[in-house]
Amino acid sequence: MMTSFKKILLGFVLALAGVAAVSANPALAGRWRLDPAQSTALDGWSTLDLVVSLDGSKVALRHELTWGATKATETNTLDTAAPVDAAKYFRIEARHMAVYPAKGGVTHATATWIDSGKTLRIEATTPVEVSQGIVPIRLYSEYRVSELGDVLTVIELRSSRNRPLVYVFKKVPAEAAK
Amino acid sequence: MKRIFSFLILSCLALTLRAETETTLTATPAREAYVMHFDLNWNVAGGLPEKAMLISLQGLANRTAPNLYVIHPKEYQWEITQPLYDYYERKYHVHFTPLATADAALTQFKSAAKGYVVWDKKVGASLNVAFTIAGLEDAVVVSEELIPVVEKHGLKKIDDLRGRYTGQTDAQIYQDAVNRYWSRTNKDAVMMMGGHRGAVMMPGMADWGVRQKMFFHDLAANPAIPAELALERKLLSQLNPGATVFGWHPYGKDTEEQHTTLISTYGLKMEGLHNLPNLSFNCQFTFTPGFKFTNHHHVDRDAKLVAGQKVYMAFVQSDSIGIGVWTKPGRGKLPFAWQVTMNWTKFSPAALEYFHESATPNDYFIGGLSGPGYMYPNHIPADKFPLLMKEANEMMNMLDERVLEIMDNSAADGNLGNADLTKETVDRYYKAFPNVIGFINGYGPARTRDLRGSQPMISYDYYINPRRPRDEVTADLNELIALNAKRPYFLLVHVRESNDVNSLVEVTKRLEGPVEIVPLDVFLKLAASNQTYTTRYQDPEEPKHFAGFPKE
Repeated sequence: MMTSFKKILLGFVLALAGVAAVSANPALAGRWRLDPAQSTALDGWSTLDLVVSLDGSKVALRHELTWGATKATETNTLDTAAPVDAAKYFRIEARHMAVYPAKGGVTHATATWIDSGKTLRIEATTPVEVSQGIVPIRLYSEYRVSELGDVLTVIELRSSRNRPLVYVFKKVPAEAAK
Repeated sequence: MKRIFSFLILSCLALTLRAETETTLTATPAREAYVMHFDLNWNVAGGLPEKAMLISLQGLANRTAPNLYVIHPKEYQWEITQPLYDYYERKYHVHFTPLATADAALTQFKSAAKGYVVWDKKVGASLNVAFTIAGLEDAVVVSEELIPVVEKHGLKKIDDLRGRYTGQTDAQIYQDAVNRYWSRTNKDAVMMMGGHRGAVMMPGMADWGVRQKMFFHDLAANPAIPAELALERKLLSQLNPGATVFGWHPYGKDTEEQHTTLISTYGLKMEGLHNLPNLSFNCQFTFTPGFKFTNHHHVDRDAKLVAGQKVYMAFVQSDSIGIGVWTKPGRGKLPFAWQVTMNWTKFSPAALEYFHESATPNDYFIGGLSGPGYMYPNHIPADKFPLLMKEANEMMNMLDERVLEIMDNSAADGNLGNADLTKETVDRYYKAFPNVIGFINGYGPARTRDLRGSQPMISYDYYINPRRPRDEVTADLNELIALNAKRPYFLLVHVRESNDVNSLVEVTKRLEGPVEIVPLDVFLKLAASNQTYTTRYQDPEEPKHFAGFPKE
């Protein structure tokens, strides 16, 4: 017969295991298109599609950006089971600022499902080059999908910026995304 | 008696004073000229044909004297035509007679033309060929519906391009024009009449090309259009050393970066834009008697300043002051450095005098862009660099300028990306400009920085996109201040044309930290005192948006 303490301990362990095993929110997967009118203004980019792929604990965030004839695709791959150290890490930067990914820099990033698996949280520390040298930026992001699954809101806080960045995306129907 | 004597003395004194005043006012003799007002309709199917005819007529009418001036609406890219008109009236005592219609202009100036050349509205490049002919043969250019208008004034047909170039590529058209006219055209200048293409064309600078008998074209400097690129390279190689390429690159066929790179490769100077008006008029005025450029320096050339534990910020407006925010409200509220198109000392002295005369103590002029014209220095041949920069130095001395602005977007993507200078280029600038107090670099942000002796080279840390919400501009600047945490921090900001100075004043009120906005010369002197910025040049491993041109 288990003591009350053991029951509590077991419950705590199970709860922890439950948190760790929170499954991905499948509604996050797919192609999302930035709604500029609802979002923080992009600078240097005109359009942004975010393509989210979920594969077990792996989360791939592919950013497809355009500016005039210029096209860029940048993907951050994260793992909700373990932190990652990435040689390349993309952030939606204001391109008219002299803030660049540091050459040879490594970004440490942790991804977690929170809010009972509804929200993806990413915490990252990324080195950037500015005019005075290399400095770190701490990034905190949440990816929140609306109840109807048609709107994705990405909120980013930076250690270097007091004004949060809010990007609102509309789901691109699978047919249109092809 | 005493009263009568006093009255006589006072009368004589008054007459003397009046005479002195009149002497001053008439130091520049009065001159008669004519003026036309243009609207904003540059559609090929609308207002362009008549404007093209009038601009060619302007080039001919102004061949020997400044006779015809054009005022554009304030929404036109070059906003100075009205203020400069007022300046000509006031300072140069030009009396302008308005010409309300094309018919009136032809009546007045038909004797300047020997005839007309017909261009083909279905073939845009034929307009450029027509302009070339206009310069060589003293013709006005007309589309077919305007033939009766010019014939009414007794002008005879000199050439007719209708149908000549139907179905031909631009490379074929211009090759034909080269075969026919190139040998007779000016080799100190060429007119790259690009810019707007298709349904709208805006050849506002054509008067200058017609007056100076230039070859007109809009060949692409785009490796994807090899026939055009090859022909343009041939033309550029045949220009005289130190020649100037006027106009602007053709939108949609190539990029500004490609064209400026190509021109720089030949050590030539670029002077734009394609719609810059009235050079045929402006070039005929010298500075008014006794005028001397005196810049609003805020610090002596040899002064040594010491930076405090602050964020020092300076604003620079480039893009040539004529298309900037000069006439917009708010100028003078913040210290602004203005990049002067130095070549205007040759082509538009009155415009430069106007800018200098109307400058506030907060307006500070600097030289640019990269040299004696718009050039990308990473591509200027080493053997041509010293002579070009000698010319730039001479113009800067004339303009009392002590700071040189450099820009090389050959590897950039528009106003983004790699805008850095190689170490070799930086070395050349330091050697060529021993007397400047410093250099600034970039258009968008860049990373070239140096300090040699008392001469810093600082790149822009921020470019203010005029469309960016001011709250985000404020947040961007505050973020840069946070990331560059050492003090002093030197934050150089490029203000893109059409930004509103008043809105920038509001931005500066919301900056966080020990921020001090200083004039550019003070900024550079302070930056020379404490190098908290890295020394850096173009990294060969950094991506280049445009790889450049293959060697010939």
